Amino acid sequence: MKLTVDGTSYEADVPADMPLLWVLRDELGITGPKYGCGIAQCGACTVHVNGLAVRSCQLPVGSLNGDVTTIQGLGSPEAMHAVQEAWVEHQVAQCGYCQSGQIMQAASLLTLNSDPDDEQINTVMSGNLCRCGTYPRIRAAVKTAALKLNRA
Amino acid sequence: MRLGSVIFGVVVWVLIATQALAADKVIIEPPAAGSISPEQGLQAWSRVYEVASHPRCANCHTGASDKPMWSGPSYGTTRAHGMNIRAGNSRIGAETLLCSTCHTTLVTTGTDDNRVPHAAPRVAAPWMLAPVDAHWFGKSSVEICEQLRDPERNGGRTDIEIAEHLNHDVILHWAWNPGGGRESAPYSLQEHVNDILAWGAAGFPCPS
Amino acid sequence: MGVLKTAGTITRRTFLIGSAAIAGGVAFGTYLAKKPIDNPLLDDLEEGEAGITPFVKIGPNGITLITPRADKGQGAYSMQANLIAEELDIDPATATITPGMPGPAYYNGAVMSEGVPFPAYDESKLAETARNFMAVPAKLLQIQMTGGSSTVPDLFDRLRSAGAVARETLKEAAARQYGIPRAELRTEDGQVILPDGTTINYTALAAAAAAIEPVTDVTLRDPSAWTRLGKRDLPRTDMVAKCTGTEVYGIDVQIDDMVYASVCANPGIGGDVLGYDEAAALSMRGVQQVVPVKHGVGVIASNTWYAFEAIKALNCQWGPGPYPKNSAAIWEALDAAVDNEDHYDHRQRNEGDIEGALADAQTEGGVLEASYRVPYLAHAPMEPMNAIVRINDDSVEIWTGTQIPLFVRDKAAQISGVDRSRVLVYAQPMGGSFGHKLEMTHVEQAVELALAVKGTPVKMTWSREEDMTHDYPRPAGVARARGTVDNGQVTGFDLSVGQSAMAPSWFGRLTGMTVPGPDATITTGSWDQPFAIPHYRVTGYRAPDMVPVSSWRSVGASGNGFFHDTWLDELIHAAGADPLEERIRLCSHDTSRKVLEAVGALADWSGPSVGDGRGRGVAFCLSFGVPTAQIIDVTHTGDGIRVDKAFIVADVGTVLDPTNIEAQLFGGLIYGLSHAINSELTYENYAPQQTNYHAYEGLRLYQTPDVTVKVLENGHRIRGIGEPGLPPAAPALGNAIFAATGQRIREMPFYKHIDFI
Repeated sequence: MKLTVDGTSYEADVPADMPLLWVLRDELGITGPKYGCGIAQCGACTVHVNGLAVRSCQLPVGSLNGDVTTIQGLGSPEAMHAVQEAWVEHQVAQCGYCQSGQIMQAASLLTLNSDPDDEQINTVMSGNLCRCGTYPRIRAAVKTAALKLNRA
Repeated sequence: MRLGSVIFGVVVWVLIATQALAADKVIIEPPAAGSISPEQGLQAWSRVYEVASHPRCANCHTGASDKPMWSGPSYGTTRAHGMNIRAGNSRIGAETLLCSTCHTTLVTTGTDDNRVPHAAPRVAAPWMLAPVDAHWFGKSSVEICEQLRDPERNGGRTDIEIAEHLNHDVILHWAWNPGGGRESAPYSLQEHVNDILAWGAAGFPCPS
Repeated sequence: MGVLKTAGTITRRTFLIGSAAIAGGVAFGTYLAKKPIDNPLLDDLEEGEAGITPFVKIGPNGITLITPRADKGQGAYSMQANLIAEELDIDPATATITPGMPGPAYYNGAVMSEGVPFPAYDESKLAETARNFMAVPAKLLQIQMTGGSSTVPDLFDRLRSAGAVARETLKEAAARQYGIPRAELRTEDGQVILPDGTTINYTALAAAAAAIEPVTDVTLRDPSAWTRLGKRDLPRTDMVAKCTGTEVYGIDVQIDDMVYASVCANPGIGGDVLGYDEAAALSMRGVQQVVPVKHGVGVIASNTWYAFEAIKALNCQWGPGPYPKNSAAIWEALDAAVDNEDHYDHRQRNEGDIEGALADAQTEGGVLEASYRVPYLAHAPMEPMNAIVRINDDSVEIWTGTQIPLFVRDKAAQISGVDRSRVLVYAQPMGGSFGHKLEMTHVEQAVELALAVKGTPVKMTWSREEDMTHDYPRPAGVARARGTVDNGQVTGFDLSVGQSAMAPSWFGRLTGMTVPGPDATITTGSWDQPFAIPHYRVTGYRAPDMVPVSSWRSVGASGNGFFHDTWLDELIHAAGADPLEERIRLCSHDTSRKVLEAVGALADWSGPSVGDGRGRGVAFCLSFGVPTAQIIDVTHTGDGIRVDKAFIVADVGTVLDPTNIEAQLFGGLIYGLSHAINSELTYENYAPQQTNYHAYEGLRLYQTPDVTVKVLENGHRIRGIGEPGLPPAAPALGNAIFAATGQRIREMPFYKHIDFI
């Protein structure tokens, strides 16, 4: 099975029903997307397919219909995406385990809606669970990221 | 929300919608006119109502509210879908969080696609909330009955068109194969289609 | 294991820890306790590297800071690195930060200090001496543990001393090289600077520094001279990695030729395996081996997902667990223990004459009474338990996130038969813990699996379902309260708390040892509160051991904070007093009183009733030495209770990283609200019924209040902050709901009694 992740083409010998998450993590060694629940309750596995957020634990790789971007393809420590920069500015992460998914969800939100209000942020970002309770800073960082993207 | 993003959302919607593939064909054979008594029609309706009001169906027929519901044996108490989910006017969550973020869109529908308990159900079609007019959740048999026989509120469908809709829309088929230990909608898809047709043949009687 | 390449003298190998320990104020009593501990870095140096103190290693290619306290998300690595960097004069972002190999040099001298029978507000010489003395058994027992909000209190002096010793030693090396007195040299940004402005990188001085006796007569800088500590702009060293998906947690570690595995064990913890369908699992794609483990069975496969799927196919049959079958039976046992002299455990608070006060009130028909309940709670951190283990003929290597690396080492040695000196534990950053990673069943299982495929590294990951059902939860507890009020004041407070003992359950699991004596955690957070109530008694009753239990963020104070403050709030209401004013009037501890006054000012408190279905609740708990007060505002909407705002004030003595302290405090509050509102473990057929986050939801962003935090520095000791934000959250919320609705909720989770949005 062929797939493109973060701009690189891969060939994976896996069954069609293997969730994309486990193709990324255990077959391709791309560990930015995290396993948290396996049932779309936590969002730690969120990646983009064709630029929009998808819970990779819920997507059988056989149903993948586009290019995959993970947190590691969104930006890098040397060249961060605006959302990642905003996350660092606000010192959002505590344990950080959910933040790959939070950031990918926020980036997807800002693609669809460049100027979300509080209510929209609350709605879109409530599918991503954070057990450390970083939510107040996530809220602030999404707004900062929107400003950065709109300025750019 | 800016216009550009709305259009973008619609494009996405079309892209994913066109992938829907039908499965589980049913046979649509309307009973001969006059062959179903009003009494039999009412009996057929009461079975249709059992299906329409079952959590597998009603949870996503929530009317003007854009909140899907969580109810039935899998959930314990009845409440709105967790995570503050809003399907929006688009009914696919395009204004906020697309349903397809978690309820991913499969290429084909298989028998054990939804075997994992408590995972987000998915089919080979975009997951969505039913139209506002088709408000079933918490409604009585009479209310749903009158809705369904009213072309103004049933999508302009005849009984045969309702049956065909049931045949073609794989998201509806999921109700009879929900997987993951969820309770199925009662009867079978074929029996449900037969009941719709019998109810139609009897002249769409509603309980008083 | 590296070979000792740099010959150090015995003196040099041992001198520094002794010095650092003295600088840290932890040298006491006996010869053994004073005996220096070897610097483990000296065993593993490359040519030209200097291991200056057990916490700083400098080589030609860079500086390594050893941060032995585990990072589970609380920022411990960053804080430890900054403590060293403050005195070493480097930017920690330029150094390698690693927990190093666990060892006795990294003992935690503070984690046991709150185990003394003195409340934290007791600042007497006796209490302080007792607390300091607890560093001795910690050192002798080789307790290298992360927990109890102890990292900063324990390492505040030790790590700064390590940085200062390293700095002065580097200066001494430069002084000898250039023939200039050390006093004339200074340091900045990883360089020694000569009087003429010439700069020499620390790395260039490593070999010379390794060849001389370390300089240990150092004086720590006054906080006014700090350039990093205490500053708002002190970014966490792990932040960029965590925001770019490049942080490598235990679950992300990849070792060549690794195989993947998972296990299922009896969710009736300790129960037998009756049977499983091995053939079904073996017939599945990617499955290599089915391996029995203690109380369960594991599957080794070529992908974690194959292992998860095969585990389901095993269809394991379990025997009964060694405790009551369901929640009803558990509550019955807890209820039976409270106020039952056969279950009496301890009474550390007994002032005035509570029996007399209650009897007097009885005759006047004025005894107030209530009962409370808190459920078992899972820690449920985002990263499920995992470990990679590779076993060769005479070595064991373990990669895992853990708060207890030395216990992990010893247990792995015991199971594998390999000497513990040949068991290497590579501690990894953790995706949360909240106390979960004070357990190590998962490592034991991974060792058992690795023994079946010697030479091959096995990455064992628990499914979320396995994690939730083998969590070793926070104990369930019940409390019965009685009290009296008179003339607008709270006059009598009597609280009886019943729960199973946590410490013996946990420590017994780690060590196989029994822990004698009372279990203080039954009343921690209620007996030790700084209030002067005329008749004041708190008693702990020990219920039988039931579900095996463990430490959960804020430990005893997680339930006791709720019992104590809610009951206090009820009595204040009965007295007709203002909730904040009466707490302040009763408060007997200056630092705590200032916290209460400050939270009132921060929230602009004018009483609990705000009108229009809105209410405010105040709560207070002194835990881990940190007095913490919170005010929560709620609105009773048509869709349920909405938590609008929260105000937090805490006193940590000295603020080292204000940005992170704020995060830990509101994180504690949100974790507390999560469980207060909607989370519990209930048991049926010996197993928890909540198997994943769908049934153990926690708080989501839309339910999260706006939070304002203020931190004070009046306390006499520096304190840790990972836990104290939690205990006041549930009572503050309950008190606010009472103010808004008149409904008093005495059982967590609250959603069983009132709807939330």
